[in-house]
Amino acid sequence: MGVRVVLIRLVTFLGGLYFFLKFVLPEASGFSQYHEQISDGFVLVGAMALALGLINLLMVHGSRLLYLRRGWSASTALLFGLFLMLTVTFLDWQATSGIYRNTERLLVLKQFSEGIVSDAAEGIVPKYEAAHVSENAAALGALAIAPRTPEVRVQFLRHALDDLLPTIEHERDEAVARVRAHGGTAELALLDRAEKEYVEALQVLQSARVQIPSELPVVGGVVGGVVEGVGQESAPVVFSGEPVLALGRALGKVASAYQGLQEASYRTSLLRRIYSVLFDGFFISLGAAMFSLLGFYICAAAYRAFRVRSMESLLMMMAALLVMLGQIPFGLWISDSLPEVRLWLLQVPSTGAARAIEIGASVAGLVMAFRMWLSIESESFK
Amino acid sequence: MGVDHATLGILLLMVALIGPVIWYIRYARTGAPLYVRRIAGIDAIDEATGRAAEIGRPMSFSTGLLSITPALYACLGVLFHVARKAARYGSRLLIPQNDPQVVAVVEDTLRDAYRVEGKAAFFDSKNVVFLSEEQFAFAAGYMGLIQRENVGAAFLFGAFAAESLMLAEAGQQVGAMQVAASLSPEQVPYFICTCDYTLIGEELYGAAAYLTKEPVQLGSLYGQDRAKLVFFCLIILGVVIATYNSFAAIYGWSSIINVVEVLRLEAW
Repeated sequence: MGVRVVLIRLVTFLGGLYFFLKFVLPEASGFSQYHEQISDGFVLVGAMALALGLINLLMVHGSRLLYLRRGWSASTALLFGLFLMLTVTFLDWQATSGIYRNTERLLVLKQFSEGIVSDAAEGIVPKYEAAHVSENAAALGALAIAPRTPEVRVQFLRHALDDLLPTIEHERDEAVARVRAHGGTAELALLDRAEKEYVEALQVLQSARVQIPSELPVVGGVVGGVVEGVGQESAPVVFSGEPVLALGRALGKVASAYQGLQEASYRTSLLRRIYSVLFDGFFISLGAAMFSLLGFYICAAAYRAFRVRSMESLLMMMAALLVMLGQIPFGLWISDSLPEVRLWLLQVPSTGAARAIEIGASVAGLVMAFRMWLSIESESFK
Repeated sequence: MGVDHATLGILLLMVALIGPVIWYIRYARTGAPLYVRRIAGIDAIDEATGRAAEIGRPMSFSTGLLSITPALYACLGVLFHVARKAARYGSRLLIPQNDPQVVAVVEDTLRDAYRVEGKAAFFDSKNVVFLSEEQFAFAAGYMGLIQRENVGAAFLFGAFAAESLMLAEAGQQVGAMQVAASLSPEQVPYFICTCDYTLIGEELYGAAAYLTKEPVQLGSLYGQDRAKLVFFCLIILGVVIATYNSFAAIYGWSSIINVVEVLRLEAW
């Protein structure tokens, strides 16, 4: 047995052992804590396979096209379609990720507001977080080095919101103008709905925002519960979480409405229209056309199946007839018990047979999986 | 807190499943004769390959939407046999594919089959055709291929969904002899209506053992049959206990713990 074979068998065994233990051992054993990283490894291998596949496609069809071998026209269509869809899908992904960037920032602030309240309730005081919340941490001044009491964190939230809102408002104006100028009926309807939601949500946000003080409460030289000096403790300040939670809820609504506005705007772009023609116009329609063929094929297959040439086909036809009659009003007119007969046929003999097939196939599949894991291979694969 | 499958019962069940398989594989390797009953659909594989060679038309073998799973290896056993026959008779064997990863594995199996027959020079990798990963695009490609090449025998072994009838109808239209095998009970009726022979469920796993008579495959088949017997006994026991418990609830008898609950008992 060569080193290569041993290595392959070893890797197969270790991989199989990992998944087997992950399946069998309880979650509390801690065995699964690295599962995400290991799964990332599989994604990596998949990405390599994808790259290899692309290289292969280019080599096979590129050479056929270059030397005008048999089937070069089909290869041209394939390569053209591949590059077109790759380009359009990449640009579409880039554009949509831009749309969601500000929405995500709003949602981060929402989570932050919820985090402030839950941490305050549990008495948790985190050490560092200004940089995650506000892009302009320098503007926080003294706050940047203050201990993260709930009041200080609320100020971070307020600063971050003040940073973000003008950008959101500006982009919203641009999106509205774009849809009004280039949008069709569907986009305008979407815009109207999203704009209405946005205006309502923004009003709620503004009223929630004014409930939060713009500066830390000062009690006898104490800022937000921190004395401006060393070694002195402040009197405890009672933190009220409800205004912060209200702000968080409003942020969620604004994020949703803002996303709707951006999507309406993106729909008017040339890129989205090209993508829509390629995907909805060609890809989905061609798939639907193929699927519709099934209707005709089912008729042809049913005709062949229901020609009574043997006892089995007679039984099959009778069962099919009872099921069909049990499903239509005409069957009910013939007999009240036909729907029950239909149900019995489907739920008892049919389900029983299907389960028997599935159990047999599953056991056989499991045995095959064990054989692969333990590298007990047949001569066919050596 | 554990999860349902992380129990001692399930672990023991797995041992009961794999134990007979390993034992029978070792037993088969000693050269002991193991009988496998005849299945008409499997016999038809040889008949179809011979018929396609006689009328001078190519053959096709598709694994449908199957990705790299244990079922693929069962299909590869049959493919290996069909490919050997194709190499021996000088027939062209087309293998339309849906999964790029399977393409590589199938190509390797095909190459091995030609090499075993001493016809390595006749192996042509272009016969393994990657069509599409998209279900209906694959079906369209397959139908086109079957019609253009006018295949004489078509083998549909693997995983199929809504496209099963399209694939089988394409072969039917060109008058190909068709043998199908599906693990999915929902697709079996379509194949029965359209194909000449259909293997149902686990017969797919038994096909390679029956065709090749290799000890590993035969032993595995025997072992899994015994494992199924264990499952069968557990099902019967479960039904008896459940029936008793329903009477026990009516007449006030004490109930018995059922099989599923025993398997779920946590022992860690």
